[in-house]
Amino acid sequence: MKNGKIDELRRGVLVFLGLAILTVLEYYLGTHEAAAIFLWIVGLLKAALVVIYFMHIGRVFRSEGEH
Amino acid sequence: MATHEATLTTYKQKLANNRLGLWLFILSDSFVFAALLVTRFYLLGDKRPHLEQQLGLVVTSVLLISSFFANRAEVQISQGNRRGFLTSIFITMLLGIAFLVGVVGFEWRLAPFGPADGAEGAVFFMMTGMHAFHVLTGVIFLFIVFRNGLKGHYSPERHWAVEAAANYWHFVDVVWIFFYPALYLIGTL
Repeated sequence: MKNGKIDELRRGVLVFLGLAILTVLEYYLGTHEAAAIFLWIVGLLKAALVVIYFMHIGRVFRSEGEH
Repeated sequence: MATHEATLTTYKQKLANNRLGLWLFILSDSFVFAALLVTRFYLLGDKRPHLEQQLGLVVTSVLLISSFFANRAEVQISQGNRRGFLTSIFITMLLGIAFLVGVVGFEWRLAPFGPADGAEGAVFFMMTGMHAFHVLTGVIFLFIVFRNGLKGHYSPERHWAVEAAANYWHFVDVVWIFFYPALYLIGTL
């Protein structure tokens, strides 16, 4: 249990790093007049990371709740 | 002891319902933001408002970092690290306030148009205003959780309010993930 929680902290850092890299990429694409589709793809990837790993959407489908 | 086990089981059953309720609220609220996003492209098309690019990147980064600390707060209370939880919640609140100052205090003032200056102004102030209102309510929510945390209301087994506040905060972040490129990056000046 303890190891699992420590991994969660590490996962939080990795997800944050992923979000930071995608944001820099997004800024680069936006300021270099890339096609809008690429910005939407980056946005969707960022949103997916937050919804899956920070908001834990999977928890809502469990029949019994546990933190 | 048996009573404690029974109440914990009831709590876990309630927790599943609470989570479903929160997600239904988030889903309904996301329709408001989706409508604003559609409005931006319907009214402005391929044209984007003239905004401070660097400021946009800074406030976006501030909100992303705040989401990291919101997640950290939730993990730390589930570990029983009360001090770490309180610190993380406090940092999240401060970053939320910094975001508000960046958008409402600076971006609104620096924008070369007002809310009544055509579609550009209406879209920009409506989108950022509605989002800033949600950030403000999120900061209030985090403050309540922080105050209750100081009183020792949460434990590793019972911290639904912390989870709810963090999830609401992440939702506000997800909205900005789409608003940021729509306002600052997509289209031409």
